[in-house]
Amino acid sequence: MTLRDYAIRYGFIVLLLGLVAYFAIAADGFVSPQSAVFIFQSVAITGVLALGVTATLVVGGFDLSIGSVATSAMMAAAYVMVVLEQNAVVAVVVCLLIGAIVGLINGWLIVYMRVPDLLATLGMMFLLVGLQRIPTEGRSIATGMTMPDGSVANGKFGDAFLALGRHRFDFFIPNLIPVSVVVLLVLAILIWFFLEYTRFGRMMYAVGSNERAAELAGAPVKAYKIWAYVISGVFASIGGILLAARLGRGDIASGNNLLLDAVAAALIGYAVLGAAKPNAFGTAVGALFVGILLQGLTMMNAPYYTQDFVKGVVLVVALVFTFALSGRGRS
Amino acid sequence: MVENAVFRVEGLRKSFGQNEVLGGVSLNLHAGEVTVLMGANGAGKSTLVKIISGVYERGGGAMSLAGQDFAPRKPAEAIRAGVVTVHQNINDGVVADLDVATNLTLDRLTGKGVPTLFNPSRVRRDAKAVADRMGLTIDLRARVSDLSLADRQMVAIARAMAHQPMVLILDEPTSSLSSAEADRLFRLIDRLREQNVAILYISHRMSDIRRLADRIVSMRDGVISGVFDTKPLDYEGAVNAMLGRKIHLDRIVAKGAARPVLTVEGLRIAQGARPISLTLGAGEVVAITGLVGVGKTALAETLFGVRRPLSGTMTMNGRPYAPRSAADAIAAGVFLVAKDRATSGIVGGFTIERNISLPFLRRMSNLAVLKRRVERATARRQIEELGIVCRSEKDEMPTLSGGNQQKVMVARWMAQDSGLFILDEPFQGVDISARRDIAAKLRASADNRATLLFVTELDEALETADRILVMSEQTIVGEHRNGDIDLERLLAEVAGGPLHSAA
Amino acid sequence: MNITRRLLGKVALGLAGATILMQVPALAADKPAPFDKPGVKIALVRYLSTGDFFQAYLSGVEAQSKALGIDLRVLDSRQDAALQSDMVDQAIALGVQGIIIQHGLTESMKDAAQRAVDAGIKVVAFDVNVENPKIPQIEQSDRDLARLALEQAVKDNGDSWKAGYVYVAGIAPLDRRNETWVDVKKKHAGINEVAMFGTLDNPIANSVANQARSVLTAHPDIKVMFAPYDEFAKGVKIAVDEAALNKGIKIYSADISTSDIAAMREPDSAWAATAATNPAVVGQVSVRALAQLLAGEDPGHNVIVPPTLITQKELIDKDIKNMEDLSAKLPQFAHADVAMPAWMPNPNAK
Repeated sequence: MTLRDYAIRYGFIVLLLGLVAYFAIAADGFVSPQSAVFIFQSVAITGVLALGVTATLVVGGFDLSIGSVATSAMMAAAYVMVVLEQNAVVAVVVCLLIGAIVGLINGWLIVYMRVPDLLATLGMMFLLVGLQRIPTEGRSIATGMTMPDGSVANGKFGDAFLALGRHRFDFFIPNLIPVSVVVLLVLAILIWFFLEYTRFGRMMYAVGSNERAAELAGAPVKAYKIWAYVISGVFASIGGILLAARLGRGDIASGNNLLLDAVAAALIGYAVLGAAKPNAFGTAVGALFVGILLQGLTMMNAPYYTQDFVKGVVLVVALVFTFALSGRGRS
Repeated sequence: MVENAVFRVEGLRKSFGQNEVLGGVSLNLHAGEVTVLMGANGAGKSTLVKIISGVYERGGGAMSLAGQDFAPRKPAEAIRAGVVTVHQNINDGVVADLDVATNLTLDRLTGKGVPTLFNPSRVRRDAKAVADRMGLTIDLRARVSDLSLADRQMVAIARAMAHQPMVLILDEPTSSLSSAEADRLFRLIDRLREQNVAILYISHRMSDIRRLADRIVSMRDGVISGVFDTKPLDYEGAVNAMLGRKIHLDRIVAKGAARPVLTVEGLRIAQGARPISLTLGAGEVVAITGLVGVGKTALAETLFGVRRPLSGTMTMNGRPYAPRSAADAIAAGVFLVAKDRATSGIVGGFTIERNISLPFLRRMSNLAVLKRRVERATARRQIEELGIVCRSEKDEMPTLSGGNQQKVMVARWMAQDSGLFILDEPFQGVDISARRDIAAKLRASADNRATLLFVTELDEALETADRILVMSEQTIVGEHRNGDIDLERLLAEVAGGPLHSAA
Repeated sequence: MNITRRLLGKVALGLAGATILMQVPALAADKPAPFDKPGVKIALVRYLSTGDFFQAYLSGVEAQSKALGIDLRVLDSRQDAALQSDMVDQAIALGVQGIIIQHGLTESMKDAAQRAVDAGIKVVAFDVNVENPKIPQIEQSDRDLARLALEQAVKDNGDSWKAGYVYVAGIAPLDRRNETWVDVKKKHAGINEVAMFGTLDNPIANSVANQARSVLTAHPDIKVMFAPYDEFAKGVKIAVDEAALNKGIKIYSADISTSDIAAMREPDSAWAATAATNPAVVGQVSVRALAQLLAGEDPGHNVIVPPTLITQKELIDKDIKNMEDLSAKLPQFAHADVAMPAWMPNPNAK
């Protein structure tokens, strides 16, 4: 391998380690188990969304609706528990169903109605941002809220549901690892294994690279594409469940920042290990990269706009790594 | 006639790297005459057209237009000098979202001395003048995207004619037109001929050629292989010159078929086409040949389940066979190496290993988890078998040469045993040694399956097949055993006309 | 059921009678013109409308309008400054007698407001400075909000502590609250601001929680978090809980909602106090000030709705669980004695 190959392969990891080293020196308290766990926790929600959108990127698509799926799932969880007074299990099931249904509709629009992916999921994004406000006429949902008809909603977030956001598992140190981090790690490993080691994952990459070749090799291309959007929708709804469990209420929000951070993580992932393609490991590292950056910068009192700026710089550098240095962009 | 040639090409040469595409082409075009240029894929037609229209720079030789030296460095220069080309892809010649009037006058919207403001009434007036001259009866306010392909083609040609060129080049203009639509195009060409335009018409369609040609020029392997200008025109001779008739020293020994594998009854693949019936047997290699656009790929895709026949039945190994998808076909043991590997075969982001395993992932996995060891072993075996030149099975496809890429495609489908192995244009863009390798491999492994090749080049059929079927007009028109072939008859069938011995 | 013409007639009569009966109290009240008759037309021209605060504001406007027998038209520009300006002209064309301008940009609303005044329409503006001496400005006092919360912080913790501060510059109410924070720091040299952070990435609470966690890792010795916006406070509280520092840190904030009340009431909640103006009351005051203008009275140029301090202790002692309880059990929160001439009906009076 030439020096250039090494740069492409390990450049981004080296950058990440350099960043950690810098913050370790510059920011007091950056290096500790709690700090490490917290970085994972801060990226858990966007990380889960990013893993989902990776699936659509693999089949050559894109999903702009993940942010609003997450916030819609959050509203749905709150609505089910607070207004309909159901338990945590029902809330989780409803959220997952919403994610799957949105994914199916996205896939149907793209595959059968031939709407370009960006436009279909953009439409879905607007639709969901509006839809999540309809049941409460634009109010956020919390226990004791007044409904549009004047009644008071008396249900509350079940303890089991809140535990998803607040319980911590012991790991050498008691009460160290939050549920959301476990969920992130489990989903990351699942989707990584699925994409790299199963025939379904392999075929999804083939569909993304050359749809006609995949079809002539006997793959049901339409089904693969729809499944990718279902995965993306379900992952986004899991992100929404974690969000609801952390906030403890249903907040009206578009989720656009979740979307942007998740997409950034997935795109940064292209540059990890010189993959130059969407991949689950890269996405996880990309999410972590953003998390470490934000944690370090916040600890050093950098205001939010410098953080956005730095996030943008990292993304641009990652894209240059992917497209210019590895030369894949041309072929 | 030679003296009054409007446009002359003398000894034109062009190479891309090592590869010589044009080896000294000479060609004359006369005013008021349609010269048809015939040539198989890779004969160098499109390179010639691109040099004439100023897209490529010539590598050697000379061109002259009306006695003046002609050396366009850009397409715009060629057009200004009076040589206009309508390319094969119709949509390159028109802007779909604009109306017909704007399209007809589009070239007047740019350049020097054009007023900054767009004047719709002037545009319509100019457009009307252009349309009238061409006898065009299309609504000038219609959007081009709402027009039929034929109308778009007319607009593209009329737009080209707005420059009042001396030479008009039409590159396969009827390839996506119906016969009624083509008739309208021919009337337009007749009109242009009367207006004394020199026309170079590139086509494989014998019906077009019979209708239009004043002269025929055949091209093969980068040189002119025949010029036919005495009436009546010798069409078979032209096809001959285009396909090339050589004595084959390495004639194969044709084998007979054992039990039948695939039986096709009354299969119709296009409206108005005669039904196809054929039987393919185990152990034999059958080649179906015919010109471009006679339905070879349509037949291949029908057998492979990605296209539905209009009528007819198929039987595989005695059982009814009606595949609804490629997956059905593969499950039934019918494999296809599709035409044009770049768009329908190669997965660019995958290594050789992963390209080979692609159709058989189910067979190479356990509860959906891939058995990577099996995958690697298969790839290594196939690389060995077909003599694919690479560093390892982990090489990415773009690093391979065209011939090796094609070998990977063949290796993919030979990794598992098939009942019927179909290859559509397997030798396209493949150098001669790779072609020999692939053909030898196909014949050596043919024993337990039926093998069916679709090839345009007659040579390839003669080199590989036990039996040769000829396709024309979406159906099979002839059958030959590759032992004592009556080439006269075969060529006549390819050319699609009744055999007349006067040729 | 057999619907006869007679039955229908009875229903119609009954409905008409009910309508008349409902209007009787309004007719009977002794109010100055034009409120001696119902049907005074006013328009509410909004710039911001989504979110709990704006919902509550609208409900206040509606309640006071109903009490005065006003015919209210709501025009919502959904954060489109140009559209909002057009909507003022639309309201003029509708022939309304009064307009409430709710939020917006000075640049786009100044001229529109002047056009309305020129057309003889009475105008009041809430939370947008239209720079017009004829237009009363309704304000919730952000400086007072911050002052109340910080006074409570000094009362609870003395005047020497390390502080974390959540702030995003460029948002008018936050900027005004920031002025008070700067003053308080000047006055109490012992207050040491060790970290300043903040973001408006939505969901805001989630993003602020991530930042606050980082800040707490860097500065575990922070005693007081000043988060003068309830979304900020909610985020800080999540981070404090996650870092298990909820017994060592106190959060002081501004604004209130039902879910904020729940968060403050949690056992060992770090959220000690918040200062808030009831958005419904602000809505009522907006209508009352406009009504005064229409009746020929002068509400004054600056109509300020005073905030209320709400402490965790009060919420628990008085068993306040939601906004309704808050209005019922803290009368100063439910009603402000602003723009209340003797003839003005109180919408809260049952």
